[in-house]
Amino acid sequence: MSKVKKASFLVLSTALTLSLAACSGNNNNGSSASSSPDSGSSSSAGSSDVDTSKLVKISYLVLGDKPTNGQFEKVMEKVNALMKEKINVELEWQWIEWTDWQTKYNLALASGEPYDLITIGTDWLDTWANAQRGAFMPLDDLLPKYAPQTWESVSQESWQQSKYDGKIVLIPEDQYTQWVNHGFFYRGDWAKEAGITEPIKDWETIGKYLQYVKDNKPDAIPWDATTSESVWDGFVTSYTDEINPSISTGYLPIFYGKSIDDPYTITSPVYDDTFLNFATMMKDWADKGYWREDVLNNKNNTRDALQAGLSGMDQHHSQTFSTLRVQMDKKQPGSELQMFPFSRTRGNLLSTLITHGGTSVGAHSKNPERALMAYDLIRNDEEIYHLINYGIEGVQYEIKDGKRVLPEGYDETNDSFYSDFWGGRVDKFEIPTDQVWDQIGTLYQEYDSYKKPYPYGQFAFDKTPVDAELTAINQVTGEMGPAISYGKAGDPAQAVEEFRNKLKQAGYDKVMAELQKQMDAYKAMVESQG
Amino acid sequence: MLARLRSNRTLLIMCLPAIAFFVVFAYLPMPGAYMAFIQFNYSDGIFGSKFVGLDNFRFLVLTGDLWRLTFNTIAYNIAFILFGNVMQILVAVLMNELRLKWFRKVSQTLMFLPYFISVVLIGLIAYNILSYDFGLLNSVLRSLDIEPVKTYSDPTIWPFIIVLTFLWQSTGYGSIIYFAAIMGLDSEVVEASEIDGANAFQRIYYIILPWLKPTFIILLLFSLGGILKGNFGLIYNLVGANNSALYPTTDIIETFVFRALMTNFNFSQGSAVGLYQSVFGFGIVMLANWLVRKISPENSLF
Repeated sequence: MSKVKKASFLVLSTALTLSLAACSGNNNNGSSASSSPDSGSSSSAGSSDVDTSKLVKISYLVLGDKPTNGQFEKVMEKVNALMKEKINVELEWQWIEWTDWQTKYNLALASGEPYDLITIGTDWLDTWANAQRGAFMPLDDLLPKYAPQTWESVSQESWQQSKYDGKIVLIPEDQYTQWVNHGFFYRGDWAKEAGITEPIKDWETIGKYLQYVKDNKPDAIPWDATTSESVWDGFVTSYTDEINPSISTGYLPIFYGKSIDDPYTITSPVYDDTFLNFATMMKDWADKGYWREDVLNNKNNTRDALQAGLSGMDQHHSQTFSTLRVQMDKKQPGSELQMFPFSRTRGNLLSTLITHGGTSVGAHSKNPERALMAYDLIRNDEEIYHLINYGIEGVQYEIKDGKRVLPEGYDETNDSFYSDFWGGRVDKFEIPTDQVWDQIGTLYQEYDSYKKPYPYGQFAFDKTPVDAELTAINQVTGEMGPAISYGKAGDPAQAVEEFRNKLKQAGYDKVMAELQKQMDAYKAMVESQG
Repeated sequence: MLARLRSNRTLLIMCLPAIAFFVVFAYLPMPGAYMAFIQFNYSDGIFGSKFVGLDNFRFLVLTGDLWRLTFNTIAYNIAFILFGNVMQILVAVLMNELRLKWFRKVSQTLMFLPYFISVVLIGLIAYNILSYDFGLLNSVLRSLDIEPVKTYSDPTIWPFIIVLTFLWQSTGYGSIIYFAAIMGLDSEVVEASEIDGANAFQRIYYIILPWLKPTFIILLLFSLGGILKGNFGLIYNLVGANNSALYPTTDIIETFVFRALMTNFNFSQGSAVGLYQSVFGFGIVMLANWLVRKISPENSLF
C-alpha cells in the first residue's frame, strides 16, 4: 500500500512543481513571436470615390495615462458624432501608459495588432528603427487621395524628411511651434537671495545657486534629482559647438556632429576633455550634497518636490517650463521660476525637428484609407481639432479676449481633459491660453536669435550592420552612465577612463566608422539636392 | 502495457493539465528559438526574415562581462536553492512538530503572506529602510550616535540582503510542498518508532528527513534547470536600474540584458539570450541527473 501512496505522492508533487516552475516564467524562447507576413498590401482601393457606407473603427495609438474622469469619453462622443457624419468613422484612442512606455510602445508595434494611426517621434520614439523593422505602411500613394488637405499643406521638403528608404512612412508635425530643448529650472526668488540677479547662463552659476540652497534652505534638497535622465547632453550643448544627431546609444548619447558648419563629421565628446569635465563637475556637486546620497536609487518625483518647495531645481524642456511656471506661481507664490536653457551659454541650438511629433499608419491596418481620411479631419477641421486638443467649449475652456481661459467653476479633478494628440498639431488652429506663461515669448525670442536649421532631418541611421555593437554600447552607457552622471562612480578620471575602455570593447570604433560612412552618403545626397 | 496504463488511469489524468501546459507553452513555441538566428523584421515574420547565424549572440561577449554575469547568476541561484530548501525543510519539520493547531495555522499564514507581496513593493520597503538620508536603519543609527551606513554604495552587503529577502519571501510558500510530503508519511511508522523509544530528534533524523529525500532531489533537479535564469524581479527592484556601484555583486544576466535591450528592443538578441540560458540549463540538468543516478539511482529523474 505504501508503494502506491509513494508513487501517487511523487506524481502529485511533480505536477505541482512543474506548474509552479512554469508559472515563474521560462518562456522567453520566442513565445511572443507570430506576426504573420501579410504586410501592407491592402492599399488597392482602386476607383476614385471612397466607399464610406460601412462604419469602421479607427484606432489611434497615443502616449499617456488614460484619463479617468469621464471627460475624455464625453469629448470623443462629440468628435465621433462629427466623424460619423462626415466619413462614417469611429475614432478610438489606444493609450500607452507612461510606466515603461518605451517597452510598451515598441511591443505594441511589434505585436502585429492592426493599429490604424500611430503617434511617432523620430528623436524619442525610435521611429526610424521601427520603420526599418517594417512597422509602418508606406503612404506615398495613399496620401494625395485620402488626406488631400494634409498632402497639400505639408511642403515637399517636409515630405522629403518623412521618408525612410525612399518611401513616406509618416506625416510630420511640421506646422506647430514648440521648443523641446532642455535646461535647468531654478527659483528666481532664491537666486536673487543668493545674489544672482542676471539670468543664469552657465553651469558654474548653477553650482553657486545650488550651494546657496544647500546652505540656507534646510527643508529643501538643492536638486532632488533622479537618475532616469542624464544632463550630459545639456553639458555638451553648453560647452561645445557639437550638435546631436539623435543616434540612440541608450542612457548617454555618444555620437555628435562636429558643429553646425560641419554637421556631417561625426565626433564624440566622450573621448575629449568634455566628458571628463562633466564627470568632475558632477562628482563635485555630488560630494557637496546637492542631491541625495543614494540618488541612484531615488524614486522621488523631482517636479512634485519642486512644486512642494522641497527641491530647488528641476530639469526638462522649454515646453514643460512654459506651463510649469504658471503652476509654480500658484503653488509657490513669488517663486519666480526661471529657466536656464543649456543653449544659452554659447548659442548652440537647433530648430525643433519637424518629426519630433507625427503620425504613421500601422503596417497591419485594415482600413488605411479611412484612417488617413480621419487624420485629415483631425488636422484640418477646426471644430474637430479644437475638440480633440482642448475639449468642449464651456466645460474645459472659454474664450476671453482671444485667449483660452478656464471657465467659472472649473474643477481640475472633474473637468480636466487631455488627449495627448501630438501627431499633427498646427499653429493656425491654436488658441493662446492663460495656462502658458505669458512671457514665454521672451525665451522664444532668445531662441530665434541664435537657432540654426536642423541638418539631420532626412538622416535615418541603418543599424543593421552594427546591431550587436550598438546593443553592447547601450548596455555600457546603461551600466556606467548613471553613476558617472551623478558623481557616484568614484574618482572621475578613473571612471571616465574605464567607461571609454568599455565602449571601445563594445565596438565603439566599428559603430563610429559605419555611422561616418552613412553620414558621408547622406552628405552627398543633401548636396546633390542642392 | 495497456493494462498498466489502465491501472494508472487516475494518476495519468491528474497529470494531464501539467502535460498540456508544457506542450502548449514549452514545446509548441520551440521553433521560435529560430528567432535567435535571424534579423527579425515585423512585417516579414519569423521565417521571412534574414538568417544571420550567430550574430545575435555577439553582443553578449563583446564587453567581456559574460563570465561575471554567468557566475553571479549561478551563485545567486545556488544560494537560493540551497538555503531556500534547507529553510523550507526546517520550517516544514518544525510545523509538523507543532501540536497546537491554531498556532500552526496562524504562523503558516503569516509566513505565507510575503509571497504575495509584489517585488516592486518589497523594493520600495527596502529603500525606505536602507536609504542613507531618510531610511529607517540610518535614522536609528543616528539617534544612537553611530555612524550611518551607505548601504546603496557598498556592494559587499548586497548578496546577503538579496538572499535574506528571497528567504523571507519564499520560505513559507515552499515549505508547503515539504509539509505535504511529511503528511504523506505513514503514521504507523512514526508510532512504531515512538513505541521503540525514539525521541523527537531521532524521529526527525531517521524517519522524516530520509522520507523527504526524493522530494528534495526532484525539486533540486527542477531548479537546476533554471540555474541560469536569475530572479530578475527581486534583484532589479532591490538594486534599481541605475546603481552601477552595486553591479559587481548584483548584476545577473537578466539585468544586463534588460539594460542592453530596454531601449533598442531587439527580439532576436533577446531570443539569443533565452536560448543560451536554456541550453546551459539543459546541460546542467543532464549532468545533475547523471550524478544522482551514480549516487542513488532510485531517486534520479530518468
